[in-house]
Formats: sequence, C-alpha cells, structure tokens
Amino acid sequence: MSEPQSVATVDRDRADTLVSVRSVTKTFRQRGGNVQALQRVDLDIGRGEFVSLLGPSGCGKSTLLRIIGGLHEASSGVVKVNGLDPDAARAAKQYGLVPQSPALVPWKTLGQNVRFLTGLHRGQATHAVMSDAEINGLLETVGLSGFTKAYPHELSGGMQQRASLVRAFALGAPILLMDEPFAALDEITRADMRYLLLDMWGRTNTTVVFVTHSVTEAAILSDRVVTMAARPGRIASDRPINLARPRTPEMEDTAEFHETVRMLRADLREFHG
Amino acid sequence: MSALGVSGNLARVDPMEALGADESERITGRIGGLRRGLRMAAPVIGLAGFLLVWQFGVVLFDIKKYVLPRPSDILSTINGDKAFYFRMARTTMWEAFAGFAVAFVLAMVVATLMAHSRFIERAVLPLAVLVQVTPIIAYTPAIVIWQGYGFRSILVVTALVCFVPFLINGVTGMRSVDPNLIELARSVNASKREVFLRLRLQSALPNLFSAARIAVGLALIGAVLGEFFAGSLSGLGYIIKVDQNRLQLHLQMWGAIYVLAFIGAAATFLITVAERFALHWHSSQRE
Repeated sequence: MSEPQSVATVDRDRADTLVSVRSVTKTFRQRGGNVQALQRVDLDIGRGEFVSLLGPSGCGKSTLLRIIGGLHEASSGVVKVNGLDPDAARAAKQYGLVPQSPALVPWKTLGQNVRFLTGLHRGQATHAVMSDAEINGLLETVGLSGFTKAYPHELSGGMQQRASLVRAFALGAPILLMDEPFAALDEITRADMRYLLLDMWGRTNTTVVFVTHSVTEAAILSDRVVTMAARPGRIASDRPINLARPRTPEMEDTAEFHETVRMLRADLREFHG
Repeated sequence: MSALGVSGNLARVDPMEALGADESERITGRIGGLRRGLRMAAPVIGLAGFLLVWQFGVVLFDIKKYVLPRPSDILSTINGDKAFYFRMARTTMWEAFAGFAVAFVLAMVVATLMAHSRFIERAVLPLAVLVQVTPIIAYTPAIVIWQGYGFRSILVVTALVCFVPFLINGVTGMRSVDPNLIELARSVNASKREVFLRLRLQSALPNLFSAARIAVGLALIGAVLGEFFAGSLSGLGYIIKVDQNRLQLHLQMWGAIYVLAFIGAAATFLITVAERFALHWHSSQRE
C-alpha cells in the first residue's frame, strides 16, 4: 500500500483547487432575531486533500459543510465545486455524504445499503461509480465482507458506520463530506475507524472535508486543519499538518504529533473566550 | 415470574463461565423450552379459563338459557348448523373485506398527497378527526337513506370507519423516514418521487400494519352495523338483529357473535403473521 500512497501524496502537493468558498455568509432567521451562522468565510480545498473543519458546537462547521454540499444555501458569497455551483455539483453526483448517524436503510441488507445511493438519480454521474469488485474490496478492508446479507439492526454501531463510509466511497464521487461521522462511537472503535478511513482514502483519489470537534482526530487524519470560532461562525486558523503519510497509531505518541495538537488547542482557546 | 426471569439471564451468561458447559446448556435448554411452551399456551389458557368461568357461572347461578346460554350450547349450535353459519359469515366477511380494502386504497392516495404537502395535511387532518370522533352508529342511518338499502351503504359505512386509522398512520409512517436518509438522498439529487417510492412507502409499513390491526375490528363493526340498518337479508349482523326479538333464537344469536369473534381473531392473526415476514427488519419485531 505504500507505493500508491506516496504517488497520491505527490499528486496532493501540486493539487489544483477543487472547492472554493468566497466570502460566504449564512444567516438563519430565528424567533427573536437573526443568527449569524457564518461570517465572510474564505476557503480553498485542493483536489485530493484531506481537510478537517475543527471547532466547538455552534461554530458553523456543519453549516459550512452543508453549504459546500449544496444542502444549505449561502445567504451571500460564492461556492464553486469542480467549477460548478453546489446544486449543479449535486446533480452531477459529485458528493459522497457521511452523516453523524449511520442512517442505513433498515429494510435493506448491508450489501444493498452500500449500493443504495449509487442507485438513486441513476445515470447522472459525470464519473464512474465503483464496480462491484471495488466495493467488495472496500468491504473487505473494513472487515464487513462476511456481513453483506445482514440487516442494519443485526450490526453494531461501529459496523453500521463502516458501512456508511463504504456507501459514500462507493459513489466514486470526487469529494466526500463527513459530518462528525465518528462522534457517536466509543473511543476504542473510533480510533480504529480513523485508520480505516485513511486506508480507504489512500486507495481512492478523493477529497475529504471532515467536520469534527476532536483535536486529535483532526490532527491524525488531515493534511490541513481549519479551526473555526463561534458567534459569529468564522475561520480562526488554517494549519497544514506535516506529519508523514501513511499515518499510523504509533505517530500519536510522537513529539511532533503532540506539538501539532498543542498548536491546534491554542488556536481553539484563542478564539473561545 | 421471578424464577423465569432468572433463567432468562442465565441463558445470556457465557455457559462456560457459569457452570460446566453441558450442565448449563441442559438447564437453560429445559427451562427455556418450558418458558417458550408456557408463553405459546398462555392465550389458550386464558380463553379456556374465561369460557370455563362462564360455563360454570351459568350452571352455578342457575341462569336461564334464554337469558345467558352456556358456551358449550353455543358451540354445539354452531357445530349443528355449520353450512348456515358459513353462508352468513361469507356475506359479512366480504362486506368487511371490501370496506377495509377500499378504505386502504383511498387512504393511501390521500396520505400520499398529505405527505407531499403540509398545506393539504393541515387542511385534511381536522376533517379526518371529525370523521373519527363522530360515532359511526350516529350517521349510519343517514348513509342508508342517502345510498339506499343494500351492499353500497354497508360498503360506505365500513370504508368510512376504516379510513381514518389508515390515513393517520399512513401519513405518520411516510413522514417517519430518518431525516439523515432524506438528506443523503438529497446529496445525490434524488427526486421527490424516488424518495417516496424507495424510502417513504417502506417506512410507512410498520404504521400501516398497526392501522390494519385496528381496522380489522372496525371493518367488522362497520359490516354488522351496515347489516342492522341497510335492510340486509344475509350476514351475521342480520342474524343478530332478527334473533334479538325471538327468545327461542337466542342461541343462534350467540352463535353469530362467536363466529364474529373468531373471524376477527383469525384476521388479526393473519395480519400478525404477514407483519412478521414483512417487518423482520423493524424494532417492533425484536424480542
């Protein structure tokens, strides 16, 4: 696996921009006045990059993710994904979404679930969806190949979330949007999930936007961590993470990693009075 | 129950840990089997107990046969006139089934509209509640005057009384899809139609089965009520109405009541079996 990984890293170094966010503002109307969820956010994400949006709840990181994905509309500003407006990008099936809960279809088997999104709005993708063999390869990677006939209620939370990841990758979409996908899992399971995710990401050429409120999670996964502050939601810092790839659990014990985590924590504190 | 509860826990403990493997398996196997057997037999024991109390109560207090007959006499009346009861039951079952089916189809159409538009939902819901809270027996005579004697009136009454449970449960079910799933479908630009056909319809199934179990009883009420008022010359409700005024036919009336009870129970049982198959994925089917 180290061969393709290093090639991918080279690609990422001279990556062109896949997502561009320009002075995006989002205001939610609520009882008792307007809430400024995002204020003049600028962000570029390169093709093949793994970028985390890190911040406390209420900082607008999920809102930003949904605006990039064309699920919310920005109040003002411009978002381009692969040169398209978010809605057009959605229609061209450019996104693979991984929500916080696994959200599997309860009456479909795991095998049917990982192909469910591929079957919706069929034939509109501008890219190839994954072949059955590739999907089976991913299921193997995450240890689910023996469970394709099982129904969601027969699987543990961790297994369901792994299926949810495979479902997103199976779309073959150039950009994956992950909204705290591991937040509901126990600490041990989520540690495993991080490296499974990196493994799948390393095999595909996808770009990942990953929302999290875990500093260590952001640090071990990302090429770049964008720290956000709340009230109003805005970008506080944007740091490249220079840890070598592939990332391993052992790295979490190195001084370099601890230093990265320390800096990110300092960024969060500075804007979180 | 406490002893049985303990055995339930034992079955979940690792046998190797609790006792010798063989020993514990033998014990949990035996208690588990007994428990299962008791659970299956409980409804039968309950019913038999009820009939026995009735039977001996009537004998003990020397209640006159035409006031309250003994269950044994009622059952032998049915047994002695099987062809007659079968004919009457067929009429009533057909009326109940037709009303049930018409209500289901119409309710699904309206529920689909309501699930797609909050406005339609808000407009229709009060009407549905009105239909439900007005006693069906109060407007049955009016419907017979409007629709005339015969099957049509019975069908309208039966369908009307079944309609609301199907409607309310259909809408609730169609709206019960996990919002995360809806968002996922949106993220790949799935159409409203796809979301409806591939997510909403299936999501409504658990609610629709609940509605069906309620509607079985209501459909029989509707059919019997219809026969009371719509000048029927056949059916279990017709028998009950005619026999009410003739003391010597009280046994026959009770026979009709027993047959109605049996039809309702059998239909409910069939629905439960269908539900087991169709909803194996749903939490309501887990023990």
